[in-house]
Amino acid sequence: MMVVVAVMTGLGLYFAQRNVAANVERSLQQDFQSQVSALDRLQELRNAALAEHCRALALKPRIHAALEDNARDLLYPSAKDELRDLMEGDELTTEQSAQSLHARFYRFLDEAGSVLPPSKPEEFGQLDEQTEAALALRQLPQTQQIGYLVETGNRSEPIIDEIIAVPIFSSDTGEVISVLVVGFKPFQLAGNGTLSGMKSGIWVGGHLHVASLSDSAAAPLDAELSNVIAKSGRAQNNFISHATGAPELLFYKRLNPDSLFPPAYEVCIYPLAGSIERQHRLRWQIGGAGILLLLGGFFASHFTAARLSAPVEKLAIDSEMNREHRRRAEAALVSTSEELKRSTRYSADASHQLKTPVTVLRAGLEGLLAREDFKPEVYEELSALLHQTHRLTGVIEDLLLLSRMDAGHLRIDAKSVNLSHLVEQWLDDLGALSDGQNTKIERQIPSELYVAGEERYTSLIVQNLLENAQKYNRPGGWIRASARQENEHVVLTVSNSGPPIRPSAQKHIFERFHRDSTRSAVSGHGLGLNLARELARLHGGDLRLLRSENDSTEFEVRLLANRPSQDRSSLS
Amino acid sequence: MELPKSHSAPVVAKRYEIVTVGGVLKTSPPVGIVYLEGSFPKPSALPKKEVAQKDLAFLPSLLPVQVGTRVEFPNLDDTYHNIFSYSPVKRFDLGRYRPEERPIPSVVFDKPGLVTLRCEIHEHMRGLILVIDTPNFTLTDADGRFRLSGLPSGRYTLKAWIDSKTTRQQSVELKNGAVARVDFP
Repeated sequence: MMVVVAVMTGLGLYFAQRNVAANVERSLQQDFQSQVSALDRLQELRNAALAEHCRALALKPRIHAALEDNARDLLYPSAKDELRDLMEGDELTTEQSAQSLHARFYRFLDEAGSVLPPSKPEEFGQLDEQTEAALALRQLPQTQQIGYLVETGNRSEPIIDEIIAVPIFSSDTGEVISVLVVGFKPFQLAGNGTLSGMKSGIWVGGHLHVASLSDSAAAPLDAELSNVIAKSGRAQNNFISHATGAPELLFYKRLNPDSLFPPAYEVCIYPLAGSIERQHRLRWQIGGAGILLLLGGFFASHFTAARLSAPVEKLAIDSEMNREHRRRAEAALVSTSEELKRSTRYSADASHQLKTPVTVLRAGLEGLLAREDFKPEVYEELSALLHQTHRLTGVIEDLLLLSRMDAGHLRIDAKSVNLSHLVEQWLDDLGALSDGQNTKIERQIPSELYVAGEERYTSLIVQNLLENAQKYNRPGGWIRASARQENEHVVLTVSNSGPPIRPSAQKHIFERFHRDSTRSAVSGHGLGLNLARELARLHGGDLRLLRSENDSTEFEVRLLANRPSQDRSSLS
Repeated sequence: MELPKSHSAPVVAKRYEIVTVGGVLKTSPPVGIVYLEGSFPKPSALPKKEVAQKDLAFLPSLLPVQVGTRVEFPNLDDTYHNIFSYSPVKRFDLGRYRPEERPIPSVVFDKPGLVTLRCEIHEHMRGLILVIDTPNFTLTDADGRFRLSGLPSGRYTLKAWIDSKTTRQQSVELKNGAVARVDFP
């Protein structure tokens, strides 16, 4: 995280700085280009105006006459009228004259390219000899030529002239018969753009001339610029100079490409101190932001890590606990399963092992009962023993059934069972076996209620419930049996009068071998309810105790309803 | 006399114009001037000559005159003309004038040499006046033929002006009553 932030800050710093530098250069470049293009436009206007003058001049018979008829002395007087507007006008300020078509001087060149001196130079602009000589061209050009000259002469400060040489074509032959050379004050770059501190000048004749810089101040820049121009040979370029101590961005552009006059360059000098200061400031800002970010990131990461790690640690602890729990549960499960298997096997084995001796015992007792040589009390005893063997057989069969269910071996061959009929039958039997207790039986059984199940097990459930209702009843009590269909279930409710099951015992009554101690007088082996519930659940239903209070105990069994014709293939 | 080959058919009406080729003025179709240089007695009065402006052209466009001849420049067009010359031989400027200008503007050519006539208003107009110091001169025809008659006997220089840059010359000896035949190459 820290590394990422540090790297990002570094990158941000690098790119931002590069961006700023590039932006500064771009905006300066744009400034320069717009200045230069403004210059170009002015120059074009000036050139076009001059070209028009010269075209008109070439149409003048007097000019032709002066040039062609060997009357050079009459050339300037003849041209004077035509070019009057070039030289006329009040003395303008430097700035005004720089932007106008007001010429400082003009001269004609003869067919050899030499300057034709005017007889009255004061009327056509005074020039020192050196400057006048510099106007000459090696050959007469076919197109306009732009040049820049430095007039030193006897002036205190050298001035720069922009020279435009315009060929004059003979209207007869189309040949160049002369060249008009007009000298102007050079256009000055505005320098009041968005970027202050810009200085502009002209590099000509191997030297840089900047109006606002003295020659000695311009000298170091001059040397470097001259060197760069000589080396690069490009028409325009820019570079950063440290010649004057402070960094400066220099743009230069050739003012007179392809000219017969010596090359001249427009030069703009932009101080970079401001932009570098800005870069420094930005570096600090971004660096500061990076550090803040780093600190922020550090704290944020710590906070987040803490937030994140708490649940993870908890999770780790929990999972360790869970693992422990699971291990224990698994162990318990294994042992339980083992135990269950063992106990199931044991129950099954035991049941089988018990069945045979009980049968033998019962057969023996029945054999004894068939004899007639015993005293009556012996028969009574034998009869009681036989009864016990029946009980024993019931217990064994219940156990067998339960053990098969526990082992998952009991499969229900589900068919449609007429529960109404089954309940009626058992109620009838109950009435017959009431042992003179005078139990009142109430029934509310709709005639055709069918459930899905195997008849003997369904019968066992019903039998268990009804027998219990009889067993745990009081003398002269009642049994109510009602059945109804609820959605997909058939609900059979069996209630009986008699002492209620103690609340503390109520939740245990479905456990195996549980018998309410208060009702121990009643015969039973504590498997019936358990068996009935297991069977009900096996049939997709359930058995529960609805209530047991005061003089009423009520059980409810739910079984899956079925239609008489419909057989359920199998329930497991 | 051999003249430069003309590219146009000879014009019977003797109309020819001045053309400039490479700074050289000549007539088209080419016409030359042949004149005899020598010391001849000056006549007391010379006849006036005329170079008119008609249809924005000088008529004739090439005129030989003896030194001291007055040449009038009548304007036969319906517009202004302004005839002038910057030629060193005779500089003059007649100013603008209309056809009805009287007296007819004129100039006395008092020095020998070639004078280029121009119009300040119609810059294409060119005319030539060859001022020569002899009464004996003639124009050739378009084929370069010429004839000078009534010449005094003696040794003279016969010159042939062909264009503004070309003048040829030969020495001739004239005998009384005889016809001399001179060919310029």
